[in-house]
Amino acid sequence: MSKLQLITKGILKENPTFVLVLGMCPTLGVTSSAINGMGMGVATMAVLILSNMAISLIKNFIPAKVRIPAFIVVIASFVTIIEMLMQAYVPSLYASLGVFIPLIVVNCVILGRAEAFASKNGVFDSALDGIGIGLGFTLSLTVVGAVREILGSGTIFGYTLVEDVMPLIFILAPGGFMVLGYLMVLFNKIAKR
Amino acid sequence: MQTITNISQEILEAFASSEVITTPITLTAIVIGAIFVNNVVLSQFLGICPFLGVSSKVGTAAGMGMAVTFVMALASLVTWCLQEYVLEQFGIEYMQTIVFILVIAALVQMVEIILKKVSPALYQALGIFLPLITTNCAVLGVAILMVQKEFSLLMGVVFSVATALGFALAMILFAGLRERLEVEDVPAGLRGVPIALITASLLAMAFMGFANVVPLP
Amino acid sequence: MVLVLFTITAVSAFLVALVNDLTKDTIEQKRQQTEDLAKLEVLPAYDGEVELIDTVRKISDFEVVVTTVKKSDGETLGYAVKAPSITRNGYADRITLMVGFVEQEDSTTLISGVKVLSQKETPGLGANMIKPDNKLEASIKRQPNPAKLVFKVKKDDASGSFDALTGSTISSRAYVNAVETAYAGYLWATGRLDLSKEAIESAPSGASAPSNKGAEDVAATGATTVEECGEELNSNVEPEAQKGELSNE
Repeated sequence: MSKLQLITKGILKENPTFVLVLGMCPTLGVTSSAINGMGMGVATMAVLILSNMAISLIKNFIPAKVRIPAFIVVIASFVTIIEMLMQAYVPSLYASLGVFIPLIVVNCVILGRAEAFASKNGVFDSALDGIGIGLGFTLSLTVVGAVREILGSGTIFGYTLVEDVMPLIFILAPGGFMVLGYLMVLFNKIAKR
Repeated sequence: MQTITNISQEILEAFASSEVITTPITLTAIVIGAIFVNNVVLSQFLGICPFLGVSSKVGTAAGMGMAVTFVMALASLVTWCLQEYVLEQFGIEYMQTIVFILVIAALVQMVEIILKKVSPALYQALGIFLPLITTNCAVLGVAILMVQKEFSLLMGVVFSVATALGFALAMILFAGLRERLEVEDVPAGLRGVPIALITASLLAMAFMGFANVVPLP
Repeated sequence: MVLVLFTITAVSAFLVALVNDLTKDTIEQKRQQTEDLAKLEVLPAYDGEVELIDTVRKISDFEVVVTTVKKSDGETLGYAVKAPSITRNGYADRITLMVGFVEQEDSTTLISGVKVLSQKETPGLGANMIKPDNKLEASIKRQPNPAKLVFKVKKDDASGSFDALTGSTISSRAYVNAVETAYAGYLWATGRLDLSKEAIESAPSGASAPSNKGAEDVAATGATTVEECGEELNSNVEPEAQKGELSNE
């Protein structure tokens, strides 16, 4: 697989949301608006790149039996460290992304990539994989968020499109499941072509 | 002195006595709230992966539900004590995520080993689900929520068992629906995960009917 | 096997502790900075030096901080009150607000601004309270005189002054509760909070209490606490300014 393919595969062929169906909890939980989806995506991408690199570095020292707990500890530490650093040095960014960061620990995309890719490949490739999957994740979350925002509150990235009262259900839990389900149908149709 | 009448008794009392008198939440309210009103899967979006992944048969869904209930009850007991007597005592609350996740992973391993020795029958039934629980975000989510809501030990354990029962309920209901869907003629594009998500949406809508049944903890 | 896991955990824990140590002070400093900025943001714009005098009131584990902001000529610009939602939780945690109060010439008070200092509500729903001109803020702008506000969400009680954020009644109740606490804190610091038994008895019951909560728990809070807080308690709750005298003008 070429280096470029490593980056682009996450967008269509191995899209974490629509194809791999990973990380559903944050996908549904934060996509009540486009900007939130994007924020979560970017924060996840940062952690994903770093954790992929770290796990790829230490993969040879970890016995197979304690693999999962070891990966989770590494990811959790990364998330905690990134959270503290952001809070200290970029508080404005933290104010907008802060709520998502603890949620990243429980995002199975990160553990999934650690297990499926980083534990078998080199540092550089793992970083590229992190970028690719991260991009795909950000893109899908932004799309899901945008659709829910338009349908549920009549705005997009905060700009008003429709003045009317919109069906709030799309911002609430049932709307999340439904929009994701129909977008998946649409995605499969486009990807198959 | 000008008498101000628009501030409520609650707050005046808090200022008068320097104590906030909180209305105790009844255990019933916690149980009903966690199972129906704030169902962990259908309204909190936690534990979606096993919800979608292990719900094609009612039997397996029930098994997973039982395993999660077991681990969640144990995990809440241990994490509550750790939070109270270790993390807060030493002022290292920022280690919470790491400690909790390790505890859950260790507990799952331990439960697996003990079950294998003590009750092979139960191990046969739950065994395959146990490794999956480590990555179930609902377990960690509930442990953190329990701390955030400042529950006592009893309330915390009741809360997590109720949450796990809510998880099991959602799983079993959902698996029942999916079993019926298996024999239905679903349009090709919707087959698999999409129809499952849309079914989950309808189930979530049904659970919204429970909103405001009890005050939130 | 166990040793490897132990080593990884130990190294991770060490790194986290290290970063925590390195960033702790900066985080606290930045938090203090935003808080100080918020104090001026909620008050009318004023060019020139200001003096900040904090009066702190502890209630259980919470702190209500009333900051008297004085202009260089000694005149009071206004009061910035930092208050958590003491008797009502948001969806995820307490909500802490900074509320500005300005005394008018006709001795009425105006709420000059509100800023959310901390909240962990659901993004897209309750978290909308940090957006400019949200429904809650607009409710205060419509009736800026706190003495005339009814601290309830319209959804719970038709006479309430506050429109709830769409789909977030719980978050809205906590917000209203924090505004109410801030107002009580402001009155307390300026020596106008009547905490006599009669005043408490005649006060409206259950601030922003969910209407479906049932009468029994509202009654229960009323019964247990009115007994306890007699006149003698009033003596130890007089405001004490931390720095200098607090003028009552």
